[in-house]
Amino acid sequence: MASTTLHIIGIALAAVSVGMLACALLEALTSRRDTAALAVSALVTGAAGGVLWYVTRPGVVRKRHIFATVAWTWVVITGVGALPFILGGTFDYGGAGLVEQVVNSLFESASGFSASGSTVLADFESPGRGLMMYRQLTHWYGGMGVVVLAVAVLPFLGVGGLELISAEAPGPSSDRLTPRVSETARRLWIVYIGFTVCAALAFFGADGFSSLYDAVAHAFTVAATGGFSVHADSIGHYDSVAVETVAIVFMILGGTSFSLHWRAVANRTVTYHRNSEFRSYLTMLAMASIVIVILLWLENGLSLGSSIRGGVFTVVSLGTSTGLSNATGPGSPGDYVTWVAGAQLVLLLLMVVGGCTGSTSGGIKVMRMRVLGLTMLRSMRHTQTPRAVIPIRLGRDVIGEGVVARVAGFFLLHFVLIIMGLLAVTALGGDLESSLGAVVSALGNMGPALGEAGPTSNYAVAFSQPARLVLALLMVIGRLEIFPMLLAAMALADRGRTALR
Amino acid sequence: MSWGLATLVDAGLVVGVATMLCGLAGIGDDNPDALAFGGVGAALALVAAVARRRVAPPERPTAGRVFAGIGLLWTVLVLFGAALYAGTGSVSRFDDAVVESAAGFTTTAVTLLDAAEVSRTVLLFRAATSWVGGLVAIVIAVVTLPVVLRSTALIGYTTGRRGQDLVPNATVGIRRVFTLYSSFTAVCAAAYLLTGLGPVEALVFGLGTASTGGFTGRVDSMAGYGAGTQAVAAAGMLVAGAGIFVIWWVVRGRVRPLWRSQELRTFLVLLVVATLAIAVHRGVGWGEAGFMALSMMSTTGFAVADWTAWGTSATVVLLVAAGIGSMLGSPGGGMKVMRARLLMGSAGGELRRQLDPYALILVRRDGETLTQRTLDRLGGHQIAFVVLVGSGAMLLGISGVSLLGSVWGSVSAFSTVGPSMGEVGAYGRLEGLDWPSRLALVPLMMGGRMTIPPLLAGVGLILRWYRVAVRQSRFRTRLAERRRQTRSKSDHDDA
Repeated sequence: MASTTLHIIGIALAAVSVGMLACALLEALTSRRDTAALAVSALVTGAAGGVLWYVTRPGVVRKRHIFATVAWTWVVITGVGALPFILGGTFDYGGAGLVEQVVNSLFESASGFSASGSTVLADFESPGRGLMMYRQLTHWYGGMGVVVLAVAVLPFLGVGGLELISAEAPGPSSDRLTPRVSETARRLWIVYIGFTVCAALAFFGADGFSSLYDAVAHAFTVAATGGFSVHADSIGHYDSVAVETVAIVFMILGGTSFSLHWRAVANRTVTYHRNSEFRSYLTMLAMASIVIVILLWLENGLSLGSSIRGGVFTVVSLGTSTGLSNATGPGSPGDYVTWVAGAQLVLLLLMVVGGCTGSTSGGIKVMRMRVLGLTMLRSMRHTQTPRAVIPIRLGRDVIGEGVVARVAGFFLLHFVLIIMGLLAVTALGGDLESSLGAVVSALGNMGPALGEAGPTSNYAVAFSQPARLVLALLMVIGRLEIFPMLLAAMALADRGRTALR
Repeated sequence: MSWGLATLVDAGLVVGVATMLCGLAGIGDDNPDALAFGGVGAALALVAAVARRRVAPPERPTAGRVFAGIGLLWTVLVLFGAALYAGTGSVSRFDDAVVESAAGFTTTAVTLLDAAEVSRTVLLFRAATSWVGGLVAIVIAVVTLPVVLRSTALIGYTTGRRGQDLVPNATVGIRRVFTLYSSFTAVCAAAYLLTGLGPVEALVFGLGTASTGGFTGRVDSMAGYGAGTQAVAAAGMLVAGAGIFVIWWVVRGRVRPLWRSQELRTFLVLLVVATLAIAVHRGVGWGEAGFMALSMMSTTGFAVADWTAWGTSATVVLLVAAGIGSMLGSPGGGMKVMRARLLMGSAGGELRRQLDPYALILVRRDGETLTQRTLDRLGGHQIAFVVLVGSGAMLLGISGVSLLGSVWGSVSAFSTVGPSMGEVGAYGRLEGLDWPSRLALVPLMMGGRMTIPPLLAGVGLILRWYRVAVRQSRFRTRLAERRRQTRSKSDHDDA
């Protein structure tokens, strides 16, 4: 493995260990149950990160190493991130053996760092506050990306920096905010931290929130468009319109490009409406909300108020790939697995699309969907005028053919991965409805899925252990937008073939 | 005279003769259907034969007209069938008649008919609609698109170099396709006869097998038949799914193209893999697994067992097989094996390009290298495929079908398979659906039968007409406004 790759992994591990340490302190000050688990994890992670950082020297990152660097960093932090859950015995209930505990911990860690929000946690009362906050913190780290963080603290990283950010950041191209890559990464993190603070304050001020702990925990979730909550019934626990409204606003903002947030803050002017992707994103959420509210009202027999409350919250939650739920229990208006099939299919579509490029959300992304739609329209025009040269435009910009081909390739691979994932998960024992929802949800980093893996259930009920591992892998693949993980796997295969020869 | 009208006349002749023969077959049954079908068929055949002498297709029709003609052709065929079903009272409601007719002409194995309740004539007519639908689909794929249109935009939908062997020109191509298709149907029917079926049943099964229509008229499809009949059906589906080129090569004794065909190899490999993947399930026999894999990949829709009760992953394998579909030049639907191959090659190339942006990545089809432009267009069509299937699922979901039934039903109907998980079930019975859901299947089946380019062209034409109409109406309004202003000004001057 290249020295720079190990160096970046070292920095990422060090960053994660700081979070673990902070949570260990919180645990020591509050419930004290998992203090040792968090402290030991922080020590091990920090030591491993420190050694890697000390013994390796960063250099220029080669093109072929970029994807491997990002992929390996994510694999390592997902593995190490499971340590507090394993050591704390978080999943040691119901006669679970060590293997099952490890599998569940890895699943929870992958779900956390990939900002998915799918959970196998059934007992939300036993773990201490520190451990629960660590669970939320994994979202926050993964939302903006640990590699972006590493680049921000690596001022000497040369050529490959922007490519590293591109490989990790969601979207077909990364937005360079400043000429210096490390400065771009730093600014992104500054906006991200500011956003989280604002969300925490808004939650804390909302009628229904009981503590600062709850507010910070949910701020981590909405900033990262994750989906974890410190309560088993998620946002439904508060049963408060004010809390849900705050969550809706911050989920929408979390699904928006952070470059746009930076520009709004830096220029002190609101420029969101000039961004065509943002307009499409809002239109999509509005249209989906209208359709679902009508379907819930007319076909599910809910009152108009319940339809609006349940429909809009769920649309925004899944449309931004957050995955929070306002269901107060099975069969309540927010429990979307009880909705009519048409409404669930609209949600499935939202799960596939996701939020804007450059945001913390998952899915294919609105911009890519627009490019795909325009490619389809171009094909439509080509059937009549086969020789016409028709460029694809987004707003006033003409999209290069290379980007169009890349987007089409991404879509195809996404589609193929859904099918492969579906085959694998159903072969490992999942039912079709839950598996379809879970695979789409995992690749799009949504969180809750359909069927037995709905918002009022959890993945341990719906899927076998091997299926959970497959889903965890899909979450990481989805978070890195497919290419890095597949290319890293291809590089490994190539190396194996060469070694065999 | 437009290309569409000429095609419509040709199809009218075939449908007329087929309908007349169905009527003739029912004479002596003491059933009024025979007379009605025979009379309508004879009249249609006569009108078409007279019109055929007067209507000649243009030498070089434009792509838009050809696609519009294809859309018109399928619509008229479906409406004709529906009128006949409803007019003779074979199907009581007109909307159900439209569904039955659409299922027939699009070679989709869903039905409301029960062989125990309908006359021999209606049974044969339903099977004949599938046969005509299959014939039209093959002619469009191997003659119209590659020879009449000669458009590079359609690579992936046409048959490339190998097409020139079977179809040197349109006239010879149509004649050969008709002969091969009819002969194959006759062989299938004869084989069914040998397994002990009655003549009408053998003919219905033969027509359903050769056209990949999958219609049997029985509520349990092929489940109640012996191993011999099922083996004939499996062999027939294999050949029908492999397409007209394979039949041509076999008839001509040409082994080399058979051996060198990437598409055939992929088709067979996929079949074997699907069979293995299904057969690992407890309680599923190898024969059943192979039969159902064949049925789905050829998009025929015959069933020998209630496969919806098999393991979940087996049903997913069947869903994927139905989505991929058969080979080019077959009457089956789906994405087609060749296009799936090309798209996978294109996606793999894009993955490699991430490492080396300047890499020259070639995607080949039977030795032919495809341009990036062609692959982009194919990608656009693939996106349209997914969008249409997704929209179809949503349409079904909103019309009241369950989530699983909507997703499965949309893929199955768009691939012209028919049976699906959920309300429709393994044997393709439509009684479980409400009328809005049944009607929602019609555009899906027809869309799948037309394939993507004509569908996109049709939508494009409608959009263009709409734009022109809007422009004209704006122009007229402006003109009227100006006239009014001029008149009021002159009135004012006069005053």
